[in-house]
Amino acid sequence: MIAGLQRFFDEIRRAGVRVSPAECVEAVRAVEQVGLEDRERFRQALRATLVKRAMQRKSFDEVFDRFFVGPARGRGRKRGQPGAGAADGARTSTRSVGVGPPRATLATTPTSPPERPSREGAKRKSTEHVESERLERNLREVREGRRQRWGRLRHVSVSRIESDARPELDHRVKPALSDLRRPASAEQERELARAVRRLVERIRLRTGRRMRRTRTGRPFLRRVFRDSLRSGGVPFRLPHRRPRLRTPRVVLLVDVSWSTARAAGLFLEMAGEFLRLGRQTRVILFVDRPVDATEKIALWLGRGRDRSFRELLGSIEGLSLEAPSDYGRVFHSLLVSPRRPRGRRTVFLVLGDGRTNLFDPLDWALEEIAEGCGASLWLVPEPFASWGRGDSALPLYLPRVDAVVEAGDLNGLASGVAALIRRL
Amino acid sequence: MGPRESISPETIASAFLERGFVCTGEVATTLYLAERLGKPLLLEGPPGVGKTEIGKLWAEFHRARLIRLQCYEGLDESKALYEWAYGKQMLYTQLLREKTGELLAGAGDLDEAIRRLGGQADAFFSREFLLERPLLAAIASDDPVVLLVDEIDRADEEFEAFLLEVLSDYQVSIPELGTIRAKRPPRVILTSNDSRDLADALRRRCLYLHIDYPGFEDELRIIENRVAGISKTLAETLVKFSQSLRKTDLRKQPGIAEVVDWALALVVVGAESLSRETLRRTLGALLKNREDLDRVMSELSRFRS
Repeated sequence: MIAGLQRFFDEIRRAGVRVSPAECVEAVRAVEQVGLEDRERFRQALRATLVKRAMQRKSFDEVFDRFFVGPARGRGRKRGQPGAGAADGARTSTRSVGVGPPRATLATTPTSPPERPSREGAKRKSTEHVESERLERNLREVREGRRQRWGRLRHVSVSRIESDARPELDHRVKPALSDLRRPASAEQERELARAVRRLVERIRLRTGRRMRRTRTGRPFLRRVFRDSLRSGGVPFRLPHRRPRLRTPRVVLLVDVSWSTARAAGLFLEMAGEFLRLGRQTRVILFVDRPVDATEKIALWLGRGRDRSFRELLGSIEGLSLEAPSDYGRVFHSLLVSPRRPRGRRTVFLVLGDGRTNLFDPLDWALEEIAEGCGASLWLVPEPFASWGRGDSALPLYLPRVDAVVEAGDLNGLASGVAALIRRL
Repeated sequence: MGPRESISPETIASAFLERGFVCTGEVATTLYLAERLGKPLLLEGPPGVGKTEIGKLWAEFHRARLIRLQCYEGLDESKALYEWAYGKQMLYTQLLREKTGELLAGAGDLDEAIRRLGGQADAFFSREFLLERPLLAAIASDDPVVLLVDEIDRADEEFEAFLLEVLSDYQVSIPELGTIRAKRPPRVILTSNDSRDLADALRRRCLYLHIDYPGFEDELRIIENRVAGISKTLAETLVKFSQSLRKTDLRKQPGIAEVVDWALALVVVGAESLSRETLRRTLGALLKNREDLDRVMSELSRFRS
């Protein structure tokens, strides 16, 4: 809890509220007294100890709302609609506070969907957060073609921005599977895995980009003479090479910290399917450092998933699930690694929420990796409303990749796969 | 109300409500934290929003003695902490003149006389001749005490610095008597009307709560709680009227206390609506400034709408 609050103190200092170490201690003591169950009381305890002037209240409330997202916050989707659910509230708040069971009660518990926020409330909240607005504006401009690109970013698939972006999966995915943060039964998990398999199957059936561009392939000059000699050059025919199917290499970089655990499980299913299909796939897992888990996952799949996903993660050497996520370090390690993802045929795929725990994001390292690859794609398993809030460094990372997809649910994932296909 | 063994924000709020004070969740939580953390509480806000009332009710809640230190410009240690009862010392000196004569009889020289008096002088600088002012009274009290330092923003900055010292350790040093430590630290509430900026050091030592004018619903509840026999319609009308006054740049905006007074006045005169005549007769309870009165009476339709 203290680590989570410490991040909040840093945040509030950045907002211009001067908070001394003694006041931080008082705030922690106050929170211990009131607990985390009641969000408003939690806010009052922090405010009474950290705010010392009336003029600071607004800044405090803004930072608090951004950092500890409440249960009523959402994107205004209907309940049961794909993408609605526990959503950003539980994610940001629980992660920010960073303690055990009580934190779940601070915001929405995963089993109880949040109340639908009022349109006015949602509108007011959105105007409060300039950074979030800026991020949204940039993404919207890229998507609508008003801007060619934002940094490298050319393709955006975010449900809040494009409500029509949901492909044909809507009618066949059950609502229970729609939100990757909701707990699911074993049967639901299996169903989800089957859905992922279908998605990956689409990738397998997809022809390569080079094939799509030209139906006939490149001109086959050597045959021009041979064919011309045969007919004397009349009529002249230009033969073409038969196009070869080029197999892209896919490097998946997957955040498996507990905050993205379920989404990570789903993505590993996807990675597994890639491996099964014989694609040149590397799976790199990370929390605070990257670990190449390709062989382990292939073995696990080969044995018919003989143990749970979490057990598998626990057995991977060098992977510390308890560590705080450190994206900057991961990108830098990859960049300087001899097995750095590179090559025109390489698709670099990142799955993660971009929450750096306030470590240095080192976004330039991501940019260098992305520049060395044919395509780079970021799938965010977090609702759009949470992007860039709290310790999220997504506004720094997203301009460095080619495409970004909100993949908080299976439909989002389908969009992600579609975007991936376009780049294969 | 009485001292609560298992105190919680809810018990505080309900106890305050029993006394007709509508206590918001934030006030209750902050009082609860002040109690649990043993910290002074700084209440800041415009005049008439109930800051002093909170101090009084807090004392009642704990069945503690309320010691109030009203601050003003020029307030110093002698008025706030202690002073020697000079008159009493002089009187005793006169009365004990004969006894002093006997004591000094036979002293050969001045040194001898001073030495003999030296042993006795402490009697004149004992607790018997000490006049306890609010701060010392709060610290030296054997019983639970709520110390209300009212309108601290009116006091000088020097006094603020001095208060800081007292609130840090709950002890005072009296050169003639030594250090007096609080047997049980008093519960301290400071109020400020924000007429001047208080020092950061003082703010840091306190929990802080800014109390603003209440919203319509809260103010209506307050009026209904505090003014027995007022009709719902009249209460709503006068609250709306008061809230509209606060949106204008009057010289002195009406606080809750004034609205309550006005509501009481309206009930006393048997008013059923805010007619011009009723307003003319009662508005003095709400507005305390001639210019404001004239302005409101001249633009009555605007405020009533």
